[in-house]
Amino acid sequence: MARYAMVTDLTKCVGCQACTAACNSEWDVPPGHARTHVRPTGAVGKFPDLRSAFYVAQCNHCDDPPCVKPCPSGATFQADNGIVKVDRNLCIGCGFCVQACPYEARYLNPATQKVDKCDFCASRLERGRQPACVTTCTAHAKYFGDLEDSSGDIYRMVYTRGARRIESGEVKVGPNVYYLGRRGEPQLVAAMFPPRLPKLPAAGEWWSKVVKPLALALVGATFAGQAVAFFTQLRKGEGQFDE
Amino acid sequence: MPHGLSPGGVSRRDWFRATAATAAATSAATAATPGQRAGKPALQVATNCEMCFWRCGALAKIQDGRVARIEGNPQHPLTLGRLCARGNAGHQTLYDPDRLKRPQLRTGARGEGRFQEVSWDQALDWFAARLTELKNKYGPESVAYLPHGASSGFFGTVMKAFGTPNSAEPAFAQCRGPREVGYALTFGRGVASPEPLDLANARAVVLIGSHIGENVFTSQVTQFSEGLARGAKLIVVDPRFSTAAAKADHWLPIRPGTDIALLLAWINVILSEELEDKEYLAKYAQGLDDLRAHVKPFTPEWASAETELPAGLIRDSARMMAAAKPAVVVHPGRHVTWYGDDTQRSRAMAILTALLGAWGRQGGILLPTTIKRGSFKTPPFPESKRGRADGAGTTYPLASEELGVSNGLIEATLTAKPYPIKGWVVYGQNVLESIPQRERTLSAIRLLDLLVVVDILPVEQTLYADLILPEATYLERYDAPHIVETAARPFISVRQPAVPPMYDSRPGWWIAKAMAARLGLEAWLPWKNPDEHLAKLIEPMGISLGELKARGAVAFEGRPTIEQRIEADGPLFPTESGKIELSSKLLKEIGHDAIPVYRPPADPPPGWFRLLYGRAPVHSFARTENNALLNGLMSENTVWMNDHSARDLGLAAGQRIVLQNADGNESLPISVQPTAAIRKDCVYMVHGFGQQAPGLHKANARGASDNALISRVAIDPIMGSTGMRVNFVRVKPEVQS
Repeated sequence: MARYAMVTDLTKCVGCQACTAACNSEWDVPPGHARTHVRPTGAVGKFPDLRSAFYVAQCNHCDDPPCVKPCPSGATFQADNGIVKVDRNLCIGCGFCVQACPYEARYLNPATQKVDKCDFCASRLERGRQPACVTTCTAHAKYFGDLEDSSGDIYRMVYTRGARRIESGEVKVGPNVYYLGRRGEPQLVAAMFPPRLPKLPAAGEWWSKVVKPLALALVGATFAGQAVAFFTQLRKGEGQFDE
Repeated sequence: MPHGLSPGGVSRRDWFRATAATAAATSAATAATPGQRAGKPALQVATNCEMCFWRCGALAKIQDGRVARIEGNPQHPLTLGRLCARGNAGHQTLYDPDRLKRPQLRTGARGEGRFQEVSWDQALDWFAARLTELKNKYGPESVAYLPHGASSGFFGTVMKAFGTPNSAEPAFAQCRGPREVGYALTFGRGVASPEPLDLANARAVVLIGSHIGENVFTSQVTQFSEGLARGAKLIVVDPRFSTAAAKADHWLPIRPGTDIALLLAWINVILSEELEDKEYLAKYAQGLDDLRAHVKPFTPEWASAETELPAGLIRDSARMMAAAKPAVVVHPGRHVTWYGDDTQRSRAMAILTALLGAWGRQGGILLPTTIKRGSFKTPPFPESKRGRADGAGTTYPLASEELGVSNGLIEATLTAKPYPIKGWVVYGQNVLESIPQRERTLSAIRLLDLLVVVDILPVEQTLYADLILPEATYLERYDAPHIVETAARPFISVRQPAVPPMYDSRPGWWIAKAMAARLGLEAWLPWKNPDEHLAKLIEPMGISLGELKARGAVAFEGRPTIEQRIEADGPLFPTESGKIELSSKLLKEIGHDAIPVYRPPADPPPGWFRLLYGRAPVHSFARTENNALLNGLMSENTVWMNDHSARDLGLAAGQRIVLQNADGNESLPISVQPTAAIRKDCVYMVHGFGQQAPGLHKANARGASDNALISRVAIDPIMGSTGMRVNFVRVKPEVQS
């Protein structure tokens, strides 16, 4: 079984956001949200000794994904190939996984009320295509493939060219998006955008975001069932609903 | 439809069927399949992009009759399947609810924005009647044409046939004109577009103000990035720590306006240390001794005082590029109308390129290869006895008579000299954002008897138009194909519709033909439909129309380096001397410096900043800010200010300020971005924002317009372009009420 990973070469990346636009278009991401972000570090240092880089951020499909456990409905899961997915049919939009992600890679889609995030364009992979961000990258800075294929680009970049993970002292969850950079760009990005500790839901949130909505949904379903029965009876001309 | 014309000369139903057949052929020709969207298999149409002028190869994926997605076309020989953010977002312009939908005639005062919708028949009859009136009253030259974009040639033909020589694009006098003239004076030919820079094979790249990365032409970024990955050295000259500067081996944060001093010092180092390509120069160049004598005083130490760059850095960077010769790209820039000495700065860059032996060499600047094209027999255009009104060829002796001097046309409109200009036909550009000195442009518009605007969106100038003609977007129309000779492999790429035109919009070619028909000028556009036009054009190319449409682009063999040239390619250096002219006899004859001379710029007074502007990768000019996807990525600009300067002024990040220029012009409110990434003597903003067009619901009044603050220009005396980096601004003091 494959272990999918991505490498972004930050020396090549020019921060043009073609990846973000391609992704937003591929996945109908609403304006103001993204499955892959480009975050500039801004100029760091003292004029004229400056450095800057772009953090091309997305779901890291971590070895130990902190988003899976907090999901109350089981919508978030990790496939055998390492891709962390959200089953939209199961997602209840509680947002626990959004809080839990150390990389801020998830968002709650306001249109669907479901959580959305990068899945390495799994449906494109099934058709033998590369992720949309990779094929469009103007700087040819993004690479995608199987980390277990020792003859592949990804393997070489990670194991011989020293592509790095963005981790912090506190957060080491085995991200599978790696970064190359000849000028210390990955280190600069890690310093400027350290992953934050996963935030687990408080007890109160369980009540307000899971139990209550679920209960309401159950009540609603019951009520809806009764209503259907009521109107069915009306149409049949059987008079009022029998209490 | 009037005159029995419809897109393609067939009914809309037939037309769509034909498009679908083409799409199916394309689908079979390329293995690609659509995005994640499930359901019916999508069709795809190979075309080229018009989100900017680079025209990258695109595949429009159609689902349920709509363009659902645009991806790069891997068969395009230059862009190889990659698209920038704008290219990926193109269908959001197609589906922009703010689009111009029907022809409109003005009913209110100019600028008031009151219009009446009319049919195409009414609109075109009205247009032809007004044009004929102007011709009878003032002569055909009284109508001027101000175009930009892929369909501009169709309208240009109509205007020439009508009898006016007055056509001017801001692409010349507000953009790359000085470069074309400066390089043509040196090498006998201009750089042209797309620039044939062999960035992927360069061993050193020199950027002078060019901000690759923030300025995105897809293939240029790809090749730049490939070159750097292969170890090319990078030297970036910019008052701002640009995206490219962050990748540079040497960043030279130059005092704005002193580039010629730096270039002369670089030339001084190369010649005094004998680092030039001697063999190349001996064979191909003239004027080396004059050049050597000329630059003798301009040492790095001398230049250091002017440029505020360390002499050691000037010396080191000169040695770095010389070590890589001849595989050096000294990027000629694109928008180069900065300080009014721009032709001479371009000359200095061309001379530097020559010293490095990089013109016509692998890893340098490549030579074009001609593609033979077929043409219809058409009558000669009527000749104007009165000549051009914009000064091209007269006041501005070396201005292009093909591209014209747009500011010269505005001047002629304002002064009625050499003769009255009473009508403008504007196509595919917004003159209030693309040409500086807005007030002059507006004054000129008020003097017009006729302003016709052909556009896809209600940009600001449409408020002043007498007649608005809604064009179909590039995804709904055929255009003249993109024939590129300035690429290692020259190619032709096709623009064809992915979906039929929405609303009552029409393709540019259709509008031009309908205009011609109304004016009795059909003989100059003697084809029935775009297929016939295209088939004629490609006749000598040895390719079939079906192949071209299915693949989207076809490449030919190129001979881009001196070593590969054959006799049929013509002279290597088509200058008067047949050699590279390091010293220009022609410039001397017309009263200008034969070799560039540095003249120091004025500095901003204390409390003032020089206004610099540039591009963002997700927008093109002032044309894409209303695109839903791109607006979501960047909805307004900020003003970059040195962090120390901002602190001295008590300004915090994100604070809204109003900028004021020396003439009292004010910007719309804009957020401050304090940063160490810019010098203290200048501020910077991205161009294209701060539009004043209420019909653009996402873009209107978002951010600030640099153009609103460019009320002064420095005219290049050689070719008439408007240097636009000569305006000083300050933060408007808050008025206590």
